[in-house]
Amino acid sequence: MSGDHGPGPGRDHGLDRDVCRDHDLDLAVRLLAGTPTHEGRDPQLLRRWAEAAEEFGRQMSPGPVPVRVVERDGGLAAGLLARYRSRPPVVEVYVDTVDRAERLVAELGWRHWFPAGSVLAAALAHERAHAWLHHAHVRAEFKRALGHTALRLGPRRLYAHVAGADELAAHAYARAACGLGRSPLLLTEALAAACSESETDRWVS
Amino acid sequence: MGVVILLLMAAGVAAMLTRRLPTAFALVLLAVTIAFAAGAPLTGKNSVLDTVLQEGAPALAATMIAILLGSWLGKLLEETGIAATLVRKIVEFGGDRPVFVALGVLAVSALVGTVTGSAPAAMLAGLIGIPAMIAVGIPKVTAAGTILMGIAVGVPFELPVWQFFSTALELPMDTVRGFMVKLFPFALVAAVAYVLVESRRRGVEHTWSLRSPAGGPTSRSRRQLLGDAPWYALLTPVVPLVLALGFELAIIPSLLAGVVYALVTTTRPREMNRRLLRTLYGGFEVAAPPITLFVAIGILLAAVKLPGAVDALEPLVKAVSPQNAVLFVVVFTVLVPLCLYRGPLNVFGLGAGIAGVLIATGIYPATAVLGMATSYNQVFGVADPTSTQTVWAAQYAGVSPQQVMVRTLPYVWAVALGGLCVTATTYL
Repeated sequence: MSGDHGPGPGRDHGLDRDVCRDHDLDLAVRLLAGTPTHEGRDPQLLRRWAEAAEEFGRQMSPGPVPVRVVERDGGLAAGLLARYRSRPPVVEVYVDTVDRAERLVAELGWRHWFPAGSVLAAALAHERAHAWLHHAHVRAEFKRALGHTALRLGPRRLYAHVAGADELAAHAYARAACGLGRSPLLLTEALAAACSESETDRWVS
Repeated sequence: MGVVILLLMAAGVAAMLTRRLPTAFALVLLAVTIAFAAGAPLTGKNSVLDTVLQEGAPALAATMIAILLGSWLGKLLEETGIAATLVRKIVEFGGDRPVFVALGVLAVSALVGTVTGSAPAAMLAGLIGIPAMIAVGIPKVTAAGTILMGIAVGVPFELPVWQFFSTALELPMDTVRGFMVKLFPFALVAAVAYVLVESRRRGVEHTWSLRSPAGGPTSRSRRQLLGDAPWYALLTPVVPLVLALGFELAIIPSLLAGVVYALVTTTRPREMNRRLLRTLYGGFEVAAPPITLFVAIGILLAAVKLPGAVDALEPLVKAVSPQNAVLFVVVFTVLVPLCLYRGPLNVFGLGAGIAGVLIATGIYPATAVLGMATSYNQVFGVADPTSTQTVWAAQYAGVSPQQVMVRTLPYVWAVALGGLCVTATTYL
């Protein structure tokens, strides 16, 4: 593993929290910057959107969504941890990826951030948030919260969709709902790096 | 001798299907062997060297120039950010309703499809359009198919295609234009139906993906730093179309007008020369594969039009070609899959030779062959898993070309049926 994932355990907790929050926000900004349609955006604007999306996700309280949950294999090969499909409503959880994520959390000493069993819970919460974000009134509130204007006619504003923001809101909801110490984006990045390393090892060994 | 020529054609198809030879090389080899089999002399009138190779190679020169200009305009759309701006605006306005985004990207693809074809058209619309659609929840196969169906909507108005059919089938441009206008509604209805039906059937899809966020605020290209293209520059793809369709201007000046419009609406005067040259040279790269193919098609057309070939093929082709209008529609609709996988009815392959045979032997009027060939072209351009735009769009979306073929084929088959019905009622 490489890269700075913020402070480890045992350092000043106030400082830790700030550094962790900044690092999580950096990850969110990077996700937005890598989403098509944001190629030329000002990083400060992306940061504002990331903050607003995460705040919206934290405050979300999805109603009960009738979704069938199925477990699948082959997530590591496909690069997926979970998938939500609306027709018929189903959440597919890739158990091989979830298992790998749990092992990785243990290997990296991140158990205080991601308690045992929290990856599966976060995956379900993440996809439940996506299902919730498709409701018309939720979409309208979300666009207002982001505040990106597509068209202004006098006092009237037409709010624009911000691609990738719903992903950030879903991650923020999953973090809040499952009581995670860090953003699931951190786990995603670590998992992607671990999978990429094991893929490289397979070819060079 | 006719049977020998048909066997040679079958061998040519086999060589293309098995990828033993690239399509262009296979067509040239086929043309030379057909010419020899038809008893053509080596040199002189109706000969292998002077008629088939020397006169055949530049026969579609006007098409090649139109392809080059279309590719040049495509490069300008890319470099000036016109295509990207169109997609970005669509996502901003309709992003919370995935079906609106898909319809918007379909419209952009159709506009791009009027300018240029093949993989470059798919890239222009799809580089941002495909990930943007996936980001708002459109399933991957639907996203790839939307780009291809959109390009197919533009194909009836793709000016280089008009030039190709006009030159290859020796038809006046008015005739080609007239049929394309009739074919367009079928392509449009099928494409919109594809987006609406597939969105309804498949719904939306979101994944927790392991793919790390690519790039970042610092890794931006020069074009990306320039920001959005101005709104009036977004009209660029329409300019050649309005001139050629509305004012009946010739193809090459219409495309040149598009190039000039894109340039003056997006580029500072002191940068114009450099941008023009850079995009022109880029256009040559993009146009190289289709131009190579059109050289080969010209050679094949010259071979199948040799008097010896026509005399040998006429009785055989006449015996199997339906003359009744209803049978014409039924038989050629059933044969639609033969234009897939570089099959014998692919109009940018052996299909062009078969079209030449049908006209040269007088079995069908050239207008009916135009209707048949353009109807097949609507299928090939979307559903053929070996065509470059299908392969690119599918792989970029992260699915297989075969998945895209299965999903789109019913829709484009219906377009071909519509085109063949119009052909039968109008020209037979």
